[in-house]
Amino acid sequence: MSTGGPATTAPSALHSEGEDARRGPGDVRLTVEQASYAYSSGERQAPLFTLQATSFQARQREVVAILGPNASGKSTLLGLISGAIKPLSGRVQLDGFETSRLEPRTRAQRIAVVQQESPLLFPSRAWEYVLQGRHPYGRTLRFETPEDAAIAENALALVGASELRDRWMDKISGGEKQRVILARALAQQPLLLLLDEPTLHLDIGAQVELLQRLRRLAEENRYTAIVVTHELNLAAEFADQVVLLHHGKCLRVGPPAAVYSRELLEQIFEAPLEVETGPGGRPRVSIRGERNETAG
Amino acid sequence: MRPLTLRRLLWICGTLSLVLLAVVVAALKLGAVPISVSDLVLSLGRVAIGRSDQLPSEYRLIVFELRLPRILLGILVGAALSVSGAGFQALLRNPLADPYVLGVSSGAALGAILSLIASPHLPLLTPVAAFAGAALTIAAVYFLGRRKGQLDGGTLLLAGIITASFLSAVIMFLMTTLSSRDYRGMAFWQMGDLSTPLAEGLRWVFVLVLIVAGGAIYTTAADLNLLLTGEREAMHLGVHVTRVKLVVYLAASILTGMAVSVSGAIGYVGLLAPHLMRMLFGSDYRLLIPTSALGGAIIVVLADTLARTIVAPTELPVGAMTAMVGAPVFIYLLRRGLQ
Amino acid sequence: MTLLAAGQARAQGAASRRDPGTDLPATPKLEVTDEAGRRVNVPQPVRRIVSLAPSLTETVYALGAQERLVGVTDYCDYPPEAQMKPKVGGTINPNLEQVVALRPDLVLATRALNRRETVEALEHLGIAAYATDPRSVEGVLVSTARLAEVIGAGERGEALAANLRARLAELKRLLSGRPARRVLFVVWSDPLVSIGRGTFLADALRWAGAESVVDSSQDWPRLALEEVVHLQPEYLVFASSHSEEVERDFEALRERPGWRSLEAVRQRRMAVISDAVNRPSPRLVDAIEQLARQLHPDAFETKPENRSPGVGTRGGTGPDEEFESDEREEACACAR
Repeated sequence: MSTGGPATTAPSALHSEGEDARRGPGDVRLTVEQASYAYSSGERQAPLFTLQATSFQARQREVVAILGPNASGKSTLLGLISGAIKPLSGRVQLDGFETSRLEPRTRAQRIAVVQQESPLLFPSRAWEYVLQGRHPYGRTLRFETPEDAAIAENALALVGASELRDRWMDKISGGEKQRVILARALAQQPLLLLLDEPTLHLDIGAQVELLQRLRRLAEENRYTAIVVTHELNLAAEFADQVVLLHHGKCLRVGPPAAVYSRELLEQIFEAPLEVETGPGGRPRVSIRGERNETAG
Repeated sequence: MRPLTLRRLLWICGTLSLVLLAVVVAALKLGAVPISVSDLVLSLGRVAIGRSDQLPSEYRLIVFELRLPRILLGILVGAALSVSGAGFQALLRNPLADPYVLGVSSGAALGAILSLIASPHLPLLTPVAAFAGAALTIAAVYFLGRRKGQLDGGTLLLAGIITASFLSAVIMFLMTTLSSRDYRGMAFWQMGDLSTPLAEGLRWVFVLVLIVAGGAIYTTAADLNLLLTGEREAMHLGVHVTRVKLVVYLAASILTGMAVSVSGAIGYVGLLAPHLMRMLFGSDYRLLIPTSALGGAIIVVLADTLARTIVAPTELPVGAMTAMVGAPVFIYLLRRGLQ
Repeated sequence: MTLLAAGQARAQGAASRRDPGTDLPATPKLEVTDEAGRRVNVPQPVRRIVSLAPSLTETVYALGAQERLVGVTDYCDYPPEAQMKPKVGGTINPNLEQVVALRPDLVLATRALNRRETVEALEHLGIAAYATDPRSVEGVLVSTARLAEVIGAGERGEALAANLRARLAELKRLLSGRPARRVLFVVWSDPLVSIGRGTFLADALRWAGAESVVDSSQDWPRLALEEVVHLQPEYLVFASSHSEEVERDFEALRERPGWRSLEAVRQRRMAVISDAVNRPSPRLVDAIEQLARQLHPDAFETKPENRSPGVGTRGGTGPDEEFESDEREEACACAR
């Protein structure tokens, strides 16, 4: 499996499907089918960036990592999945509905997106922030019901942030903030959780903590979670599937052990790397330093 | 956790209404011609029981024909400017957005002046033209305020201030080249003035427009809370971003245009009222919009009462009073934002 | 709730609109059309007058109706005793409350200084407001006579107008056949502001045997100094109540680039006249005479009794430095 040479054609969707089918239970929830996209500055200009046709599927309780270096098309793919942008060709379906065609409110009831945090214009308390996740369930100007409050409270508890409830969002640490943002996404009671570089500003402890929590949440609440990241080892540790992107091209889809090959990763990340298999059967990537080279 | 309830909203708005009422009574009493509290109470009582014909005629004229219409105009203008200020702040994601600072008031003034030049005898055309001027200006400022496709706070403010200065120059040009006598003069358009009461017919149009446009902004209040955290995030939380932005853009422009067409460019009200209310009651737009409307009314009536009395019988432009308080607040918020 | 109250008050205000001065509902009214083309119902007799412009205050004094003048603006400084009258604020933004509190039968306004909104607001309050709009010297005379009629001083007004007219006719006779002096009327020197062809000042210059070098459609054009250098006026005309100040300013101008290249400045050809010329009131004729004497001194030398140009002489056509309307008018009436 790991012998695929560098820059070979992308493995077909069937390949990963086969892998998944063997892995067991859970209905297919998300289907990305030959979805592509192109950015250009004007209608007549040549595209500045293209995401070539990408396909994969994700089931309930699955954590999928979208992996790749900067400017590989990770965020574009996330945008397509979230329905924020419409694919140029192909389809993205959540339980049979095309995500880009859903009404914003309906979409927000099914898909929650945790973005890289944006600065707040006016300070708000953590509970106010989490309560925003109930917005798609309210009508115009509806005031939150006790039920909404209970759901928000529960969401905070799920991420272990109950004690942050009355704190100001601009007065808590990055890791705490990330948990509150996750709680807001949980308050949306979605089917699909999308996380865009959730570990970006976190220290290693907080990173592991967050991903463990995500794993557990997906397991217990039947979420499908899709995480955009460039942390190779975190993805290897926590993802069921990895979608590997490079220069707008989907190179491989499959379980980490199948996707992580030394030649491929070295070529994509342009660094000398070493891939070993860890105790849990999951691959582990390390930097192959000059000293190691001579020693080996 | 204490989510906003209708009860709390009504309670706060009721309290603010009482404050407004107190300010209105004070404004009715104070002025160049002294009127004692007992006389005022007596007059109000007589009007309340429908016997205003028993009032001494000059009291009736001063209190009910001069002060009251002016106070009512102040309430309408203050509410309109504050709600549109709060709307612009969410629309542009900029806490310093204010119709005056962004040049929107100048745009509205220019529109109004052009309509007065083109057809001076169509009173309804002036607010419409002022709305068009406001809408065009905010669109221009919005596009000038972008850097690399992103709305940039500093660039936006700079674009607004430069636009305001440019439009003021155009107004100055028009005022100088045309005989300015019938166009109310530079001071009116730049500093604002409430001394001319609304024409009878226009008054109800104004109230109606305030209710409709203010109400339109209010229906998006919950969406605006999310819009403030970012357009992308708002969209992912179920906000129909383009629709909400269009509604706020049009309604806020209408409110600014209408206010400017009848009272000139009274500055900083759209900044002062929402920020004061945020400090008092938090930044939830469902609470902020109605409290800003009341707060703006209080601020303008208060400022105008000061403008009428501080050097009586000479009157100061009300905009000078609001700017004297508003500009330092603007600087304070700007400095705080920079840190 | 407050809105309703306002509506109510408004409705009743309209129903029982009557002049605030008297409580009798059936005061006789005189319907006149003012010089802005508005119809005004002036209650008769006019007992209480508020003036919203210095020229109108002067006119009321000249008509001998000063006892009935109950309110003036902050700028009404002539005659000096006018300053003792109750003030209603400035001309552009008079305090309407103060006006109402003075319970006037008639408010006098002028289009050049007051705003249309002020007059409309007074009208709305049921207070008669009469606007004047003199645009020439002849217009000042006509306007004065009409105003006299409105306030019930018709005879006095006619006499005053006839006297002024006679003085102007005499001036015209004296100046006939003399070429008009090309002058620059300096309203303001920094920035330089002069007068346009449509103002009564331009007309006043013509009566004084002068002609403005500036031909502008704007009433108060701002001029570039280089244009004035190009036009090279024969005289500079200043209007001020303090001629020594003008002399001092003039000396300063002689040092300034641009100004010093004016022939008129170099040769000290300037005329200072009373600032009454700025006000379309009867005193305008005094200023015209004063200017004519300075620009055409030789024209007045033919009259042996009037040898000292620029200095006031009594009786008949001489300009008065100190204006005492009653006394002077009686003198005029006798001469007639």
